[in-house]
Amino acid sequence: MSNAPAEEIAAEEIDLTEANEIIDKYLTLPGNLMPVLQGIQDAYGFVPKPTIDLVAERLNVYPSQIYGVLTFYAQFHLKPRGKFIIRVCVGTACHVQGAERITETFFGRLGIGHAETTEDLRYTFEKVACLGACGMAPLAMVNDDTYGKMTVQKVDEIIETYNARPMK
Amino acid sequence: MVNLTIDGKQVAVEKDATIYDAAKACGIKIPILCHDKKLHPFGGCRMCLVEVEQMKGRLIPACTTPVTEGMIVQTTTDEIVKARKLVLELLLLKHPIDCPVCDAAGDCDLQNLTYEYKVNMNRFVDEKFNHEIDYENPLIERDMNRCIHCGKCARICDEIVSYGAYTFINRGIEAKMGTEFDGPLNCEFCGSCVSVCPVGALNSRPFKFKARWWALQKTKSVCSYCGTGCQLTLGSKDGKVLTTIYDENQGFHNGQLCTRGRFGYQFVNSDKRLTAPMIRKNGNLQEATWEEALAEVTSRLSAGKSDPASVAALATPRLTNEELYLFGKLFRGTVGTDNIDHSAGYAHEALTKGAVASFGVAASPAEIADVQKSNLLLVVKSDAYETHPVIGFEINLGVKRKGIALRIVSDKKGKLTRLPGAKTTVHAPGNEVALFNALCKSVIDQGLAAEGVAGLDALKAAVADATAEKAGVTAEEIAAIAKEFASAEKALIILPIGQGYPGHNAALANAAANLAILTGQYGKEGAGLLIMGEKNNSQGAVDMGIYPKGTGLNAAAIIDGCANGNIKTLFVAGENPVVSYPNRKKVEKALENVEFMVVSDLFLTETAAMADVVLPACSFAEKSGTFTSLGRRVQNVRKAIPAVGLAKSDFDILNALSQALGGARYNNQGEVFTEIAANVPAYKGLTQAGLKDEGAVYPVALSAKLVPAAAQASAPVAGKLTLVTGSALYHCGTMSRFGEGPMYVCPDAYAELNVADAAALKVAEGDQVTVTSGTGAVQVVAKVGKRVPQGVVFSPYHFGEGSVNTITDGSEVTYVTVAKK
Repeated sequence: MSNAPAEEIAAEEIDLTEANEIIDKYLTLPGNLMPVLQGIQDAYGFVPKPTIDLVAERLNVYPSQIYGVLTFYAQFHLKPRGKFIIRVCVGTACHVQGAERITETFFGRLGIGHAETTEDLRYTFEKVACLGACGMAPLAMVNDDTYGKMTVQKVDEIIETYNARPMK
Repeated sequence: MVNLTIDGKQVAVEKDATIYDAAKACGIKIPILCHDKKLHPFGGCRMCLVEVEQMKGRLIPACTTPVTEGMIVQTTTDEIVKARKLVLELLLLKHPIDCPVCDAAGDCDLQNLTYEYKVNMNRFVDEKFNHEIDYENPLIERDMNRCIHCGKCARICDEIVSYGAYTFINRGIEAKMGTEFDGPLNCEFCGSCVSVCPVGALNSRPFKFKARWWALQKTKSVCSYCGTGCQLTLGSKDGKVLTTIYDENQGFHNGQLCTRGRFGYQFVNSDKRLTAPMIRKNGNLQEATWEEALAEVTSRLSAGKSDPASVAALATPRLTNEELYLFGKLFRGTVGTDNIDHSAGYAHEALTKGAVASFGVAASPAEIADVQKSNLLLVVKSDAYETHPVIGFEINLGVKRKGIALRIVSDKKGKLTRLPGAKTTVHAPGNEVALFNALCKSVIDQGLAAEGVAGLDALKAAVADATAEKAGVTAEEIAAIAKEFASAEKALIILPIGQGYPGHNAALANAAANLAILTGQYGKEGAGLLIMGEKNNSQGAVDMGIYPKGTGLNAAAIIDGCANGNIKTLFVAGENPVVSYPNRKKVEKALENVEFMVVSDLFLTETAAMADVVLPACSFAEKSGTFTSLGRRVQNVRKAIPAVGLAKSDFDILNALSQALGGARYNNQGEVFTEIAANVPAYKGLTQAGLKDEGAVYPVALSAKLVPAAAQASAPVAGKLTLVTGSALYHCGTMSRFGEGPMYVCPDAYAELNVADAAALKVAEGDQVTVTSGTGAVQVVAKVGKRVPQGVVFSPYHFGEGSVNTITDGSEVTYVTVAKK
């Protein structure tokens, strides 16, 4: 592959410095597409379009193929994500314990649905199949914090807690 | 060889064959949806399941399973039929049953297999997809609801075209064939994906609702755009060419076509075609009868017989060999003038003079098949892809599949530079000869010259002061290419030529040939020099001797002769000098000055509009004959439709004139071919019937010799950009402007600038700019990108509006200024 050096690609819309650094790190490694995309996602919180064009040009991969990879793996996101990722389990145990009501309450309070992000980029909400803690059903997580035995009241408490957290 | 038994038949095949290949070889048909012989096996559709006795207990996909010794295969047991029916039922679960309005009906593998396997009901029910149909480009309609996920479109776009427009996106039930960001298709529109789509998911929009597939009359012929000589099948109905049909067994290219071949056929039935002869009366062209028009031309030519030096004739290398031969015979023999030429006087010197001097033949010493047999390709100008896209596909395949090394020396970057392992050396425009001289010197200096090369001392002296710097590149780059080229087992130089490439002349052919000869890279498979003539029959025009011999004037001198009054009668068959020859103003003035000009053409071109008599000519689809490709392959062109309006083929026109002037008379073009086979040594022994579908490559006897070539020195001019002209991918000559397909995608002239230059000039993509040189100025649209290096501006030459020949004068390099309008 004729991998292009960083300076040939001008920055557009967003600051690509970090993306370029990540690509530099893996440039000569065979099979470098996945670690590069993972690195970009870590750095930007999602994979912005200009970085796809950048990766395509520098790694000499078709943009369409990168898009194929990004849409295949659930770990990648093409849109900005909230600072706080709220995940509510809707697996069997949680479902039986009323997970549906918990998700509906979150939808109502946050004004967003499944896999959506609030406009202020504070929250992203996701329904997930199982979080692996059925004994605590119904279960919610906010980033790495776990909230078991969820109730509608706890939903409000959680939102108050994270509303109070700074964005930066 | 591997021996196996298929349905009781004994078969012996190569060891890398699959069960599918083996079955095909012995005439057993295994149904297939995701397989195409040009592509890597995929094994996705499961239609080709077969039973193998040694692998009992499961069904095996025939298209991905390699044969093994003693294999016993069954292709149609009850169980297999049941499995295939299930596959079809599952496909039809989501596939819309809209065959009555689907353009693929009749040519749809899914439809045909459903019929063959009698799937008249479905045990399953599900909702159909509801994907939005992509109508956002004028050429390819994408209806992903009909897609069966065979992946052929994505694979051909990646493996052969190297564009990579498609990919599988999403996963599971939501998976579909998509593009980047699932947006509209935005590619080079070669239509390869349409050609291999087994269903109606990808359709040609220009053909939509024009005819049912089975109602088309199919005629095998040869594409009339570039010199590659791709075969195509014309689909016609009611006297109109409506589409080109994909046939994976056709030609060296297995049915692959570029955007021009696939979507450029509409010029044949264009409503701009000339349908009746015209004669200029009171300053205006007025319709006339053929008798009047031919009488007028005959009387002029007959008067010219007494002063043959005052007559000149130009022919387009788009005519058939038979027409060109007759053209030569009429003007050289009957009228007695040697002032005949095709665009050779401007562009094809590389073939007519260069190849003769270096190799002793006016043809490429290599053929197209050599591309994939080489170990190293040295491509001069990455435009080899843009001028001859299907040879570009061959290069792609060679590089990707066979690991052939690709080295490019070019004045700008192109698609080939992105191929795996490709190395591009960007040089200053117009320095190709200097670059090859530097390569030769480096070969000599590194002690890599082949032993016993005659004329080595003379070449040494000639290239003594050739340096990398003079070619605008670094010494390391030159040394590396020289070494790689000389030490490759087989190395091939690919040189595109054409009207739009000033400086791609005899000197360049000699300089490139010197490198091949010096390193012994010629006269063997996969090596030598492939000189790629621009037009479909450029090679034929050379073979038929359509260039001046002895004291005759070449095209450039003929234009001068018109200007100074020495040429009084000019016959132009299909050429369009006003737009395609350098220095438009000069050409226009010269043609205004000529006493009598007759133009035979398909269209009222810029040149025809200036003529005294205009004769409507037939397109390639309306006549039979032969074209000779740049690889010296002589191929049959077959008549697909009757002549449009009152048009006559150039053969009929020339034959009538020849007879009227007391020259030869032929009953049909076939008689001329017989005469060609008798008189042109290379064509000896050929017959039109004997050419069959695949044509014949005529041999060449090389007598190679080193011919020192002088590099033109051109110093950059401060504050000016260097203009590079050439071909745009979608166009070929000035004829493709009458094809709807190319004009949808690339309708206007443009000037391509480097981002840095554009920023300095405050020019953005799409802005109108004025490009000014010493000979004039044109207004074109700006394109901004990274393909052209800083200081260089590229503009294609095909267009009548904003025609780039207004600002070029035929010299190697033109310096221009660019300003926002």
